[in-house]
Formats: sequence, C-alpha cells, structure tokens
Amino acid sequence: MIHDSVIRPQLVTGDKTLHDVTTEICRPIENKPTTSWTVGFILSVIFLGLLLLSLGVTLAYGIGTWGLNKSVQWGWDITNFVFWVGIGHAGTLISAILLLFRQKWRMSINRSAEAMTIFAVMCAAIFPLFHMGRIWVGGYWVFPLPNAFGSLWVNFHSPLLWDVFAISTYFSVSLVFWYLGLIPDIATVRDRAKTAGRKFWYNFFSMGWTGSVRTWNRYEVVSLVLAGISTPLVLSVHTIVSMDFATSVVPGWHTTIFPPYFVAGAIFSGFGMVLTLLVIARKVMNYQDFITIGHLEAMCKVVMLTGTMVGLAYITEFFVAAYSGVEYEQYAFINRATGPYWWAYWSMMTCNLIAPQVFWFKWARTTPWFIFMLSIVVNVGMWFERFVIIVTSLHREYLPAGWVMYSPTLTEIGIFLGTFGLFFTCFFLFSKFLPVINMAEVKGILKNRE
Amino acid sequence: MAKKQLYWKGEEELFRTKEFLASQKNEFNEPLPLDEVFSENNMGLSANRRDFLKFFGFSVAAVSLAACNTAPVRNVVPYLVKPDEITPGNANYYNSTCGACSTACGITIKTREGRPIKVDGNANSPVSGGGLCSTGQASILGLYDTERLDGPVKVEGGSMAKVEWADLDADVVNRLNAVQTGGGKIAIVTGTIHSPSSLAVINDFKTKYTNANHITYDAVSYSGILTANRDSFGKQVIPSYNFDKANVVVSFGADFLGTWISPVEFTKAWSNRRKVDGISKEGKVLKTVIFESNLSLTGTNADYRFPMKSSQEAVYMTSLYNAIAKMAGQPEIQIALSGELAGGAIQQTAQMLWKEKGASMVISGSNNPKIQMVVNGINMMLGNYGTTIDLDNNSNQFKGIDSDMAAFANDLKSGAYQAVIFWNANPVYSHPESATIAEGLKKAKLSVSFAGIADETAVLCNYIAPDNHYLESWNDAEPKAGVYQLSQPTISPVFKTRQAQESILTWLGQAFKTSDPFANKGIYNQKLSASVYYLYIKSKWAAMGIASDDAFNKCLHDGVYTVAAKPTMVPAMAVALNSIVSDLTASVGKKDEIDLVLYQNVSVKDGSLSNNPWIQETPDPMSKVTWDNYVSLPKALAEKEGIKNGDLVNVTYNKVSLKGMPVFVQPGQSNGTIGIAVGYGRKGKVGEKGEIESIGKNAYPFMQYQSGSYVNVVNGVKITKIDGSYELAQTQTHHSIEGRDIVRETTLGEIKDNPKAGNDKKAPHLYTLWETKEYKKEGAPNHHWAMAIDLNSCTGCSACVVSCSIENNVPVVGRAEVRRRREMHWMRIDRYFTFENRNRVDYKNELFLSRDFEDMNVTKEKGLEALDKLEAEGKDKSYVYWENVKVVHQPMMCQHCGQAPCETVCPVLATTHSTEGLNQMTYNRCIGTKYCANNCPYKVRRFNWFRYNDNDRFDFHFNNDLGKMVINPDVTVRTRGVMEKCSMCVQSIQAGKTKAKREKRKLNDGEVKTACQRACPAGAIVFGDVNDPNSEVHKLFKNERSYRVLEELNTQTAVKYMVKVRDIEKVKA
Repeated sequence: MIHDSVIRPQLVTGDKTLHDVTTEICRPIENKPTTSWTVGFILSVIFLGLLLLSLGVTLAYGIGTWGLNKSVQWGWDITNFVFWVGIGHAGTLISAILLLFRQKWRMSINRSAEAMTIFAVMCAAIFPLFHMGRIWVGGYWVFPLPNAFGSLWVNFHSPLLWDVFAISTYFSVSLVFWYLGLIPDIATVRDRAKTAGRKFWYNFFSMGWTGSVRTWNRYEVVSLVLAGISTPLVLSVHTIVSMDFATSVVPGWHTTIFPPYFVAGAIFSGFGMVLTLLVIARKVMNYQDFITIGHLEAMCKVVMLTGTMVGLAYITEFFVAAYSGVEYEQYAFINRATGPYWWAYWSMMTCNLIAPQVFWFKWARTTPWFIFMLSIVVNVGMWFERFVIIVTSLHREYLPAGWVMYSPTLTEIGIFLGTFGLFFTCFFLFSKFLPVINMAEVKGILKNRE
Repeated sequence: MAKKQLYWKGEEELFRTKEFLASQKNEFNEPLPLDEVFSENNMGLSANRRDFLKFFGFSVAAVSLAACNTAPVRNVVPYLVKPDEITPGNANYYNSTCGACSTACGITIKTREGRPIKVDGNANSPVSGGGLCSTGQASILGLYDTERLDGPVKVEGGSMAKVEWADLDADVVNRLNAVQTGGGKIAIVTGTIHSPSSLAVINDFKTKYTNANHITYDAVSYSGILTANRDSFGKQVIPSYNFDKANVVVSFGADFLGTWISPVEFTKAWSNRRKVDGISKEGKVLKTVIFESNLSLTGTNADYRFPMKSSQEAVYMTSLYNAIAKMAGQPEIQIALSGELAGGAIQQTAQMLWKEKGASMVISGSNNPKIQMVVNGINMMLGNYGTTIDLDNNSNQFKGIDSDMAAFANDLKSGAYQAVIFWNANPVYSHPESATIAEGLKKAKLSVSFAGIADETAVLCNYIAPDNHYLESWNDAEPKAGVYQLSQPTISPVFKTRQAQESILTWLGQAFKTSDPFANKGIYNQKLSASVYYLYIKSKWAAMGIASDDAFNKCLHDGVYTVAAKPTMVPAMAVALNSIVSDLTASVGKKDEIDLVLYQNVSVKDGSLSNNPWIQETPDPMSKVTWDNYVSLPKALAEKEGIKNGDLVNVTYNKVSLKGMPVFVQPGQSNGTIGIAVGYGRKGKVGEKGEIESIGKNAYPFMQYQSGSYVNVVNGVKITKIDGSYELAQTQTHHSIEGRDIVRETTLGEIKDNPKAGNDKKAPHLYTLWETKEYKKEGAPNHHWAMAIDLNSCTGCSACVVSCSIENNVPVVGRAEVRRRREMHWMRIDRYFTFENRNRVDYKNELFLSRDFEDMNVTKEKGLEALDKLEAEGKDKSYVYWENVKVVHQPMMCQHCGQAPCETVCPVLATTHSTEGLNQMTYNRCIGTKYCANNCPYKVRRFNWFRYNDNDRFDFHFNNDLGKMVINPDVTVRTRGVMEKCSMCVQSIQAGKTKAKREKRKLNDGEVKTACQRACPAGAIVFGDVNDPNSEVHKLFKNERSYRVLEELNTQTAVKYMVKVRDIEKVKA
C-alpha cells in the first residue's frame, strides 16, 4: 500500500493509465524503426567500424601507432578509460543508491542509466585491454589463473590488478542488476508479441516470468540484495581506478584525496552523460511524460553538487602541493595551470567548476536544450580532467631531461571516436529491442493506477 | 532387516588380497599405461578401448595445442671439425687495433662462435688506455654492413659491374705499366697511414713504379700543426700532449675531449688529473680553460669557457703571446692587432699560465699554421716543451698536409697524374676542391679505389677493389712513436674482398706462397693459408727485432709492443714570429660579420662511417640532436634574424651555399658565430638499393684555404631564413635543470676545506612500508651489485651509450621515431644547462671577478665595462647568459632501486627484484601495460612500440641476416610490446659468477665490468659488489662526494653519483 501525498508533484505526468504506460513504452519495440533511429544507428555503426579499423591498426603494427613516447606512456588510452568508467557510474548510483534511499523519481530513468553503465564499461574496457603491448597474453595473464608456467602469479600489490577485479566485478553486478530489472518487462513484451520469433526470444529471456506474487516477492528481495551489493561498488570502482594514480610516485598523481575526488567526478560525469542521453531520448521517443522536467532538474542538482565537489578537489590539490613543500609537487601543479598544456587545465576548470554553477538558476535547470548543452560541457570537462591528470603529470616529471610533449595520432583519435560508435550502437539496439523505461516500476508510481 | 547385497568386481576384491588393498590406496587402482602412451613402440593397435579414448583425448588436445603455434623450421649446422679455440657459448677475446679512424686505439674484440660482436678498449694500449670512443664502438657494424661491396667492381659509364679479382689485377697492372712507361705520374692517395708494414708496402710500390707519389689526405687534417712544427722546429710532427703533466691547459677551439687528435687518450689523461678525492690543500687538478665559438664537448667540461669569435683567434692568440712575453721579459710580436675578451679573459689566462710555467699547455684547434706558430711560441716561453709537450715521442695519428692534396688536385686536373689509387680516402666527398678532383679523375688512365663501400670517390674510379674491414685484416700500427700495435682478423672475410695491402703486393707480383708456414698444416689436410700480408708483417717485425714466433705471438696477444721512449729535447724556435705578422693579420676576419665554424660531431667525426646507424642515433652531447647536422645558432643572432628552432636557413659564402639547413638555437654558441658539423650529406650507390639516403648536408665545401691549410673558420657567411620547417630529432628537449637537486657540484677550493662540500644537504627523513630485504642487511653473504658514477670524470662523450646498445642488442629506431621521443637507449646522458646567476651583479662577479682573478689584479671595472658595452649595443643581457651557459652531463640508466616504484605496479610480476639487488625484467612475462615506465622517477624504461627486428620499416641492421650477426647471443632480442631497460649487464655478471664458480673461488672485484664501464675513457663508471667491503664501489659508496638522485623518494638506488668539482673559485655570498 503506497500512500502518496496529494500535494506532491506527480512523477509521471499526462494522466497515464496502466495500459497507456505499456503501449507507449512498448511502441518503439513493436513498430518499425523511425527515420531518426535509422540514421542514428547507421552513423553509430560507421563509428563502430572506425573503432574496429583503429584497433586493427594497433594490433597489426603495435602501440607505436599511438602518440605515446618514452615519458608519456599513458595518454589518450587511459584518459578515455577513466572517462568511460566515470560515465559508467551514474547507472548503478541511480539504481542502487537511489533505490536504497527510496527515491522514486529514479524509476523512469534507471533502466537507461544502467544500460548506459554497461555500455560505458564495455567502452572503457577496450582501453586497458588494447593499451597492453601484448594483449594476446595480457588478456588472461592479468587474472590469477592456475597455470603451467611454474609459480607464476599475479602481483597483488599492483593497482592495475585491483582494477581488473574492480571493473570486472562492477560490470558483472551491473549486468545482473540490469537484466534482473528487465525480466518483468521482457515478459510484458513477450505477452504482447505477435510473431513466433519474438515470442520465442522474449520468452527465452523472460525466464518463465509469470507475474505471480511469489515471483514479484523474489524480484523485490533480489533487487534489494543487489542494490546492497552495488552500493559499495559505486564507491569502490572509481576509488580503485584513482589508486592507479594515487599509489604511484608521479607528482600530480601521488595524492590521497584522489578516491573521493574521483568518485565525485565519476558521478558528475555519469549524470552529465545520462542527461545528454535522456534529453534526446525523451524528445525522440516522446517520453516527456515519463522523463519529466522534474527528473532533469533533480539530475542537474546532482551535477551542480558534484561539480562543485570536484572543483573543491582541484583547489585542494593546489593547496596541498603548496603546503607539502615538495618542489616536484609544486611544479607539477604550476605546470598544469601555466605549462604548455594550460589550455587543457583551464578547459577543465571552466567546464567542471564554473559552468555547472549556472544550475543555481531554476531556468537553467528546467530548460532541456540548455541542460543538453551543459551536459556536453560537463562531458568535455571531465574528459579534460583525466587528460590533465594523466598527461600533464607525466610529461614533466622528476628529471627535466625526460620532459617531453605528447599529442595523439589519428589511430588514437579513431579509437576514441570509435568507442562512441560502440556506445551508441549498443544504445540504439537497446532502445529498439528492450523497453527503455522500467514499465513495471513506473506503473507502481502512477497516480491513477486503479 | 534384509542383509545388504554384496557385489564384487573380482575375486581379489572378494577375498581382499594384499595387492588389492594396496592398489585401493591409489587413485587409479590399475597402473596407468603412461609409459606406453609416451613410448612410440606401443602406439600400435594393441590399445584397448579405454586406452584408445585416452590416446584420442590426448591427441586431440596435443594437436590443437601444437596447431596454436607454427614453429619455423631452422637448421643448425654443427661444426664438422670444431676449431680448438671455439666452444659454442663461450666468448673469445682478441687484442687488435681499431680501424675506425687513424687514431688507432688498441682494442679487445669479443667474438662468439667465430663472429666479432663487440669491441672495447685494450688497457695495454697507451692510446686507448682501456676506453674507446663511440665511433670506435660502433665501427664493428661496418663489418656486417649490407652496403658493403661483395667483391671487386668495374665502373663504366656510371654503372658498376662485378669482375673477378684476376681480371682486375691483370688490367690494373697493365694500365699501371702503361702509365709508368708513358712517363705519367701515379698517385697513391691515402688517409693517414702509420702502419710500418703498410708504409713498406707503399715503398715497395714506389720502388717498382718510380714515378709514384704517396699523398696523405685527412678529411679533417692537422696540417696547421704539422707545418707549424716543421717551420718552427724542423719537425713535421704532431707532438705528444702530456695532459697528465700539466696543471693548466688553455685551448683555443681544440675539442681535445671530443674530436681533437686522440680524444680517448686525452680524456683518460685529463680525467686522471681531475681526481679530487683526498686532495691536499696545495693539490692541483688540471685547470681547463677554453676559448671557442661552438659549444664543444671540451667547452662543456672546461672550468672557464670564454666565448670568442674564431675568426679573431689570431688577435687573441697574439695578445696572449704578448701578455706572456711581457711577463717573461721577451720581445712582443709587433702587430697592430690587439684585443681582449670581456672581463680581461686574455690577461687573466696569461697570468694563470705564467704561474704554471712548465706545467701548462696552450693548444689550438686552428688549422692555420701561422696561428699554430704563435701557439708554439707561447709554449716555448712557458717552457712547456720537454714537459707537457713532447716533439720527440710524437704522434703519428694524422700526417696529412693540405697543400700536398691541393697540389694533387690541380695536377690531376692538368693530367699530370695518370693513375690514382685511393686508399681510405674519399676526397670527392670531403675535399673542398672535390669538383676539381672529380673532373681530374675523368682524365686519369687508371683510377682504383680500395673503398669497401662504393663511396663518392669510388664510383668515379675505373675499379673498386674493396678492402677488408679492419676486423678481417692483418695490420700493424704505430700511432705514437715507439708504440706498435697489431691488428688481427677475427673472422674470415665476409665477402670476396681483399685487403688493400695484399692487392698492392699482388700487383707488385710479390707473393709469399712458397714460404707459407700454414700450407697443408690443417687438420685432415684442410688447406689453411696465411694471408700474404700477414707474412709480410712478420718479416717486417722480424726486422724490428721481433723475430721469433713466440715474441710475435706475445705482441699479438698483448696487442701492443712498446719501445723505450726517446729522451725529449727542448727544441729551438727557428722562426721569428714578427715575420708572420702579415699572415696573421690576413687571417683575421671582420668583427661585425658572421663566422661559420665547422666542427666534427663527437660520434660522426669526419663522416667516413656516417652510414652507421649506431653512430647516427647517438645524440650529439651538446644539442642531443641525432640523425642530422644543423646550423647551430646563438640566441642573439636568432632573435635578431627572427629565426627559431626548426626553421630552415640558407647559409652562403661566396659561391658555396647550403640550402635549407635546419636551425638549432644552441645555448653556448658565441655571438656572431654559427656552427655546422662536417661529416654529413654523404652520397653513394649501393647495389640494387641505388642511392644512399643522404643524412644531413655536406659542409666540407666551406673549408677555406689559408696559409697552406684548409681552415674550418669562414668569416662573412650570410644566413637567410627561408620558408618551411624541419624538426630535428632530439633525445632531450628540455635543457634547463629547473633548479632541481639532481646534479650536485662544488668547487675545488670548497672541497679542499670540506670533503662533503656540495653534498652536505640535509638527509631527508625516509619512511618505508616494507621490511628491509634480507640481501641489504649488514653482512649479508650475497652480492649486491651497485654502480658509482663520477660526474667529475664524466665528459659526456657518449661512448657508453653506444657500448650499451651494442652489448644489449638495443634496437636503432631511426630519425622519425626519435622525433616521437622513442629512442630505445638503455643509457642516456642527461645534459643540463644552467645560468648560474640570473642576477646581473652576481653574473659579473661570477664570470669576471672570481677570487682567482681578483688576486691577479683584474679590476671589477673592466668586467663592468664589457657588460655595459654589450648593453649599450642594445643587446639584452640575457644574451650574455646564453653565450655563457654552464653544462653538466649526467649518465642516466636504470638505478636498480632497492625499493623500486616499477616493481610494485606491474600486475603480472614481470619486473622483480633479485636477491643480488638487481631490478630485473622478465621479457616473457611482460604484457606491456607501461605502468612501470610511468612510475619510474628516472624515466629509464623503454617500451618496444613496434617490432624492431625483421621489420623493414626499421631498415637498420636488425632486419637482415648480415646485420643480425652483430647481435649478442647472450641477450634476448625483445619482441614488440614489452618493456626493457638496463640490466646492469646481467649476462656479464652471470658469466663472471659461472667462471668463478667453476674455478671454485669468490668473484673478484672488478672482474665483472658492465658495457658502459668498459667503454668509458674517463673511468667515470665503477661497477661492483657493494656488500664486499674491499670493493672499489663499496669505497665509493662511502665517499663523501657520493649521493643518490631523488634520494627523498626512498627508492634506495643501487647507483650513486659523485659530486662534480669545478676548479673555479666561488663568489663569496
């Protein structure tokens, strides 16, 4: 029994009935693809092709096809990795933490946010895999597998190994959580299916869902358990990613505030990406009633909060460097702001700290086109943050004799653009074959569900 | 309750026999037919069904596993008859003489399975003293060069055709006889030859062909010194310069640590005289002063470096002469020119020299004999002859007289010379009158070149009769009077080449076949025959008193045979210097015009080996540029002309011009001068490959004929900026040290008072998470390998860089990859410039008014005056700083940290610590995450961005079977995608340990030497076991001057550096 306040604004507008919800959300799945979907999908597949081509070049010739050099041995690859992992943060946060906090507004956006998480982590995984000089052995040597090489074992001291565990755990839990939430909706689609093929496949993936009270009960319990498991993961994944840097001796990386700072940054970028996607999706798929301005506004508030947190971290870093008295640290930060990559640093500051402050104004929080623009700014800013941390720290380290500049090659750019291809290809397929909004849960928050 | 039904499988179980019970304890109670499975005999049809399934399962698994990898079939051909001295896997060493240049350092050649793979200095040789320069190190690759000619060649109409030796011999002899009978002259143009036997061969030739002349031609000659000594003292020799006996050396543009005459020998002597440990209050080191235009290697190591315009050298030299003459009470040179450098440098230098009469030395790199005569005069007044300068035990290393060559060029053109033989000489490339020679060659009835590679001269000759590489040759050498060295072949000729001496002997009809001592003495009647020239050498050495085989073999074993030094005489000057005043005046250029000063790159030198990729990839020690020559420009000029790094300029002087030269703004380049390295811009033809790609541009045509010599200073060149840009491939792009505590230095005065001077920084507090490793604890029984590097000895010559690359199969990556900052050198020399004092007043104090000079009554006003003058001319004072940089060289390689940042971050444990303190790379395990390289504070880890072997995109020597013969079989050739770095030559450590173990003894200190240590002419690198309290490295680790780079990171490096000490006085604060 849910007691809704009469004065609380409705989470789903448009006075929908239960049937309306089903038909409207199933519409894209059951009808022929729209022109905009087709165009977008083809464009995405072209970029996916670029990804395959660029990765093929890398595999054929070597990492030398990238712009890395003797001092900057991580460049766009790890920048993009952290970028995508960060994007992959919002999904679990929305589905797990907001579930635990009983934030009901999450219900119409959690599905797509989770899907985004999974696709983003897939994109992210490409980079640590392909940045390895010998992916053909590295792909499995990083796992602590029993082997015939004698007493060879992985190095549990290495943050890269922690990464392997953190990312793979996060990916599998997110995938299970996402799939679990999909089961009732897949069953709905199955029940509405008209062709044998659709019946078979949706039946297969719905795992015999009947909608009985017992299945609903189990569904709720498992959701809660998975939410419990996912919640620490939201914090742990980016904490561990940040440890790739924080545990090193590189000035500019060796910083204890990295874990919270990275998590805040991840949530910031994750919500940025969710906003980018949903502002478009609600328009294109005509979901304005499900994903309301209220949703956007709530997310804008999160973006503003986390952006400010990240900005605070940037400033704290400077303070700590100055206070530490370590000349290398001090130089690393001065070099960030005034060195040859100053433009990257100031892009980051502008996009991440200054720009989100406009969300103090209600107009900014409630105007979709403006939110969209700003979400792009946030994404760009967060990409620059990772670039600044990785490249500007490495290019001028301890010994000035090793100081170099770094710029990416076409192959690296191709891989980065290509991951967008992969991401959107997955997202378009998802929106075509699966309900983008969790029908079962949305029905639970309808006003006139009787 | 029903009784449980009992089932049994057989009567053994039913009766529970002993065997049955025993077999029940095994997992498989019947013995597994493993033996049968694995032995071929039982693979027949005897298998039962179960075994069949086992076989089947095994086979499927095995086949699929085997199919994963297609192993290429390679054949190993064993020795049918194993030579006595070759045991596969063991190296053999032979002493010999380096053939890279006529300096002729004594070397030790390492061979494996009959192929030479490494050359190092031979400590017995007074020339090399155990070190070897980068050029010499790299010269071994010339043996395995695919550009070498594989047999004699006839050149007709620009195309080359292979011929047989017999046909070549017959035609050459015919033509020689024809020229001889026709009365035409025959020229043998050679590089400097000081081999007594080779000179005898030439004499034999001249005996038969009476109208033959031997002309010695050095691309970079010392004709000025030779003729000056001839005119001054009647001895046309280069003297021995005894740096070990001097307390002050003043050099005018002579880069004696880098390229001048015998740099390895001089570096050894210089560094020995720079030792400061335990120095007494009165102790002296060899104070080094240099006046120069280009920043040379010596300039970077000098205590005082005064930028000058080289075209004014005569002015400064006569001023120095007159200043000293005043003190000596001798007549001054009556010359209208007089000049002084900023701050009274000439006066101060004169006083410095006068204080060290008889223990000083003035040298000049000028090739103008008149200037050299003034130098002789100065040294005479200072009483340096007979002490620091020895004309009697002279050097033979360079003998070329430029006027002879100039005369030859004209005579060839006029047709007087009808036959020419070029031997180790390539004047069409390197002579300023190359066009005259090329034209003259067309008229000659016979022209033969002994060049091993079809070089610029050879392709214009009738025949190319390729000489053996020096590693395939017998030879002897007398680089210094009384110092005899032998060369021996360490491999059979790789191609159908023939040693030049043998060719001449053949043409003379001299053959020693009848007295061949090796004939038919081989095992199983295998015919061995000695080289004709070997027998010739033996006969000559017999005449020298080395008659018996034993005595000769002893010399061969030692590589060196010395006779007692002659007593040195103090010569008398035969010339009044006033008679050369007009020549001196004529040599002085205009002050306001730009000087072009040609110089030799430390590795490329005169360019004769410039197709060697190791040489090209060795960075210039000052600019760190590889693979190109460039216009070295002073900052002031660059700003005036609006030129910056990477721009292109045309350099023009009269009719000579170099178009599109890239620019490098070189700190330390004197204002009003520019520098260009010679030895670049080689052209040639190689078999099917066609034209050799030219590296850089040829600057030899700028050489100016002055007083009978070609001098390297051109006054009045014009530079014009043109459109376009060019990126030089530099290995180090940031030049300042940013005030960081990475190199430490102090002054001699301070270190005399306090041995910890310059190194007395407060030790950082060090904390660690880890337990102290067992091997590091006091009295640990294991080795702990460590290295001490003396910054005070290191000159930055980069011989170690090349040596390391050769020893460890470090790939050459080429210009494009160096531009991407991906050179693979395991060892690099970090070079830092500093402007010690940015403050104007400090600057004046430092340079002009150091305490040393104050004592000598040089007024502060003079210094200020000079600086004010510069400022009055509208020049920013920072130009002065740019002219006056100080330089420190710091060799940097893996520091083998006791607590290594790289080790903790590798996810797969590919880099780990050995119990002997080494940070080891396991290439097989590396997956290439590159995290270790990012986390290395020293940035010494190198990643294999591509596959550098068997890859035609890296067409150096790793992609062909011939070039691969130089690969050290003890070191893995790394594949694409793995990290690599200095291993402290772990293969040598292992070899040393194995040897000691076999001989049941402890490893002795100094028995294992790393490649860099072996190469270092300055002895700056000491490697050893720091756990051994008697080892040298242990003592150096305890030395007050030793420190660790970035000690505050608590990396606990196994490499310590020793503070650099400059013999200057520090300004009181």
